[in-house]
Amino acid sequence: CHCSDHIFDVITSPQVLPRFCSTQETPKDPPAAPSPYQERPWEYLESEEYRATYGDRPVWHGYRRNHKGSVPPQSPRKACLRRGRRVGNPCPICRDRNLLVDFRNVKLLDQFICPHSGVIFHPIHTGICMKQHKRLSQAIAQAQDHGLLWLQVPFVPVPEEDFSNQHAAVGKTPPAPALREPGQAWYPWYEWQQPPAAEVARMRRLYRGFLKEDYPDTPPSPSGK
Amino acid sequence: MAALAARGTAALPARLRPLWALPARRALAAAAGEGKAAQPKPAFTDEAVQTLLYKMTGLDLHKVFRPEKKGLKPPHYKLMTEAQLEEATRKAIEEAKTKLIMPPVLNEREPIDDVLAEDKILEGTETAKYVFTDLSYSIPHRERFIVVREPNGVLRKATWEERDRMIQIFFPKEGRRVIPPTLFKDEKLGTVFQQDRHEDVLNMCIAQFEPDSPDYIRVHHRTYEDIEKHGKYDLLRSTRHFGGMVWYLLSRKKADGLLIDMINRDLLDDATSLITLYHMLHPECQSAKEAKEQKLEGVDLIKVFVKTESQREGYIQLALQAYEEAMATSSAS
Repeated sequence: CHCSDHIFDVITSPQVLPRFCSTQETPKDPPAAPSPYQERPWEYLESEEYRATYGDRPVWHGYRRNHKGSVPPQSPRKACLRRGRRVGNPCPICRDRNLLVDFRNVKLLDQFICPHSGVIFHPIHTGICMKQHKRLSQAIAQAQDHGLLWLQVPFVPVPEEDFSNQHAAVGKTPPAPALREPGQAWYPWYEWQQPPAAEVARMRRLYRGFLKEDYPDTPPSPSGK
Repeated sequence: MAALAARGTAALPARLRPLWALPARRALAAAAGEGKAAQPKPAFTDEAVQTLLYKMTGLDLHKVFRPEKKGLKPPHYKLMTEAQLEEATRKAIEEAKTKLIMPPVLNEREPIDDVLAEDKILEGTETAKYVFTDLSYSIPHRERFIVVREPNGVLRKATWEERDRMIQIFFPKEGRRVIPPTLFKDEKLGTVFQQDRHEDVLNMCIAQFEPDSPDYIRVHHRTYEDIEKHGKYDLLRSTRHFGGMVWYLLSRKKADGLLIDMINRDLLDDATSLITLYHMLHPECQSAKEAKEQKLEGVDLIKVFVKTESQREGYIQLALQAYEEAMATSSAS
């Protein structure tokens, strides 16, 4: 098979064993260089490198989980990169640093959608980890939203309603009387309303012992209004 | 298998006539100027217009019932006699006609900006707007009262956008999202048109927007413009959007491209109905007057139209010539 080196450089870099009693710092692995296709991930799928590695087949073709026994694990791996450490045998997307899940590289997203039924393949079928599957589903939804990816449009029959917009809920209502003259208050009780004289007299009789002699019938208007 | 590619339909059954037809504009005839003819401009919903549009749309059963991408199931076979097959074809044609009912063509709706109350006493009490929606189940959505109380105490009716959002939240409709998909924006529509997905865009538009909303009208006009620019009329043939497209093009006197396309595909009946509809829409143009005087039919009608009204005279003449030659050779052989 024509696998180029960049796929397996992640795993075959020599791991230095930790020396617990040593005073020297153990040399850590150099941080992985970012992919050259960071800004334009769709260009990788047109390149010679990709063609040599994968040919015409989808990126997940031929990937196999390592497991004991004849029955493969029925649930996908949670993540290929846990606490900064890579698992052995990473999933088809995690093992190639140039394959970036982005809503713009439609060709990569297309490889994970069934051409007959239009559903996304189950992660057990393709072998990718749960984290990448979640990112992939979100990218596919975003690409469909932007119109880059095909989407099955359900048939919605023509609405049968009255479009004349004559009903009061959506048509014009005449403004309230208070709004027509700007000086007038909205509700009459926003302004002082003199109660009837009988009521005033009744109140005065009730609270006779407590009211001042010269308590006015109409309160003075507040200054400045 | 001639029945499967049946072109042209019989008289439109009563139940399929558009139920959303607006009341006839009685005032228009009265308000027309004194010197003008008494006939008002034909509307989209008129019987004659609808019959012509349905005839032009055609009925290709293979396209209407094309397979859609769904979950896979094993195929289902039926053994039928000739009579049963005819019965099944007839039922399929009936169902196809319901699928081809045209969506409404309306003017843009008037914005709602009515203030119901102003309560200055509430100013400063709240920091957010409150939207009150009437959730009674059995009232139509257009009669539902939705009002908004602003933080400054004003109680106003909700705008059309707010109304659509609230109704979608409380009474979700299939295929409609609360926030419309990004592909309806002007810059994104171009990508979809490059993939030849005009029909999908229009179907999604019907599902997402109300027929009188500005977004619906804008998306439809953009789609029709793009189709006319690239001549992709066949994408919408045998779909429910063809009638709307023809109406849009004829209102703007852009019938040439469509005419050439019809002649190239040997659809002379459709071409004549297109010209008839053009004359109904623009009765004051010269070809309409000539056709009325001389009572022309068929190819002569097209020739008169080409001489007087069209901008691409040369192309149409060439297409007509090619058609006539093809007819001559086929009749000779």
